[in-house]
Amino acid sequence: MLQTFETAETRDKPYIIFDPKNNRFEIKGNSLPEDTTLFYKPVIEWIVEYSKNPNEFTHLICSLDYFNSSSAKMLYELFIELEKIKDTGNEVKVSWYYDPDDNLIEEKGLEFQSIMEIPFNVLEKKS
Amino acid sequence: MDINTTFWFFERIQEDNLCMLYSGNFSDEITNKLIELSEYNINNIDALSKMKKKASFLMAECFQNIVRHGEKYKEVPSDGFFLTKNWGGVYYITSGNLIEKQKIKNLKNQLEKVNSLSKEELKILYREVLENSEISEKGGAGLGLIEMARKSGQKLDYLFENKNDNFSYFYNQILLKSDIDELNKIVSDFPLTDSISYHKKMVEENIMLIHKGDFSQDSIFPVLKIIEENLHKEFKDSSQKKKIFHILVELLQNISRHCYKIGDKKEGIFLIGNSDTNFVINTGNLIENKNIKKFKVLLDEINSLNQKEKRNLYLSKLRDRNLPANGGAGIGLIDIARRIISPLNYHFHPIDNQKSFFTINVIA
Repeated sequence: MLQTFETAETRDKPYIIFDPKNNRFEIKGNSLPEDTTLFYKPVIEWIVEYSKNPNEFTHLICSLDYFNSSSAKMLYELFIELEKIKDTGNEVKVSWYYDPDDNLIEEKGLEFQSIMEIPFNVLEKKS
Repeated sequence: MDINTTFWFFERIQEDNLCMLYSGNFSDEITNKLIELSEYNINNIDALSKMKKKASFLMAECFQNIVRHGEKYKEVPSDGFFLTKNWGGVYYITSGNLIEKQKIKNLKNQLEKVNSLSKEELKILYREVLENSEISEKGGAGLGLIEMARKSGQKLDYLFENKNDNFSYFYNQILLKSDIDELNKIVSDFPLTDSISYHKKMVEENIMLIHKGDFSQDSIFPVLKIIEENLHKEFKDSSQKKKIFHILVELLQNISRHCYKIGDKKEGIFLIGNSDTNFVINTGNLIENKNIKKFKVLLDEINSLNQKEKRNLYLSKLRDRNLPANGGAGIGLIDIARRIISPLNYHFHPIDNQKSFFTINVIA
C-alpha cells in the first residue's frame, strides 16, 4: 500500500491528504501557487500510482475556498487519473463542496461535473 | 479610469524600482498591509534592508498623522494618500491627509519650529514635550513631527493644497537612504508636487491603489489583502468579492508569467479603482514585440465570443492536456472574460524595437 501523501496548507497552497490506509482523500483551502506545475507534480504522480491499485471505494472530498485557472488545469489532470480507477473494477467518487454564498466555487464544481466521467457531486457546505 | 490611465502613470514612474500609491480610507488593517507591502519592498533593496525598522517607524508615524489628524469628511470619499517609491537609490515616503483650514496656522508653526532646530535642539524639545506639555486631545502635540524629523535626519518637506472652502490637504515627504550624510547632499528630483499630481489624478479617476514593481507571489499577497479589506466594506455579497479577487489573481499572475523580465524581476503596473458600483482594474507590463500578434489574436478571439462560446472555449482549454498549466494557454484570460461586464480592453504602446507596453483594462 502507498504511503500517505500530505501537504501543509499555506496561503497559496491547499491542504491535501491522500491516506489509503484510513481511506481518507481530501483537498481543501486555497490554490494559487506561483508555480502550479511544480506543486501539483507529486500530487498527480501519487494518484497515478494509486489508481493502478486502489481501494475498493475511493471518495475524494474537495472543499476549496479559491483556486486559480492554472490550478483548475491541474485539478482536471487529477480527476482524469482518478477516472482510471473505474478500469480496475473499483469504485470512485468526488464530492465537491462550496459555501452557500460562493457562486464561483459552485460554478467551477458544476463545470467539472459536466466533463468528468465519474460520479461527481456538487454540494452546498452545511454550516 | 480607462485604458489610457495605465500609461499615464507608467510613463511617470517607469524608472522607479517600485512605486506604490494608495488613496482612500485608512483602517488599521489597511495600514498594516501597506506597511507589510512596503517592508517587503524595502527588504528587496540591498542598500535599504538595514533601514527596515526606521522606514516602518516613519511610515507608521505618517499613518498616525493621517488617522489622527485626517478629518472625517463625508462628501469626500478619499480622505488620505500614501506613496512609497524607490528611485535613484532613494526611498521616498509621502503621505497626505485632509486638515481643517483653521488648523493650518498652528500646524505650520509647529513644522517651522521643528525645521528651525538642530539635531541636539530637537532632542531637547522632544524631552520637553514628553515631560511637560499638555497633550492635545488628538494626542499629537507635535511629538510625531519631532520624531519624524529626528529619525529621518532631515527637514520636514511639506505642502498645503487647497481642497475646498473648509479643507486643505497636508502633504509631507520623507527621503531615506542608507547613508544619512549623503542624503543631505541629494537635491530631490522628485518634488512633493509630483506626488500631489498623482494623488489628484487618483481622486479624479476614483483610483484606490496603484502598484508598480515586482509581481512575484510575495508582493502580490499584501496587494490582494489591501483590496480584500476594501472589498469587504463595499460588498455584502461575498460572490462578488470572490469574483473580483479571482480577476485580480489571474491578471497579476499573468504579469509575472508573461512580462518582459529585466534581470530576474517580474515587473509590471497594476491599478484598481471604482466606477459607479463596479470595479475597474488595469494592468500593464512590457512584452517582447514578437509576442504582440499572439496576444492580439487571443484577445480578439475572446472578445468576439458570446457567453456560451466563452464557456465552451474555457472548457476545451481545460481539457486540452497538451497545453501547459503554467500560463500560455490563455485560460485565465478566458475565465476573466466570462466574469466582466466590459470586453477585455487592451492596448499596445510601442517602446522600442524590442518591446512594447501592453495594458489591459476590465470592468467587473
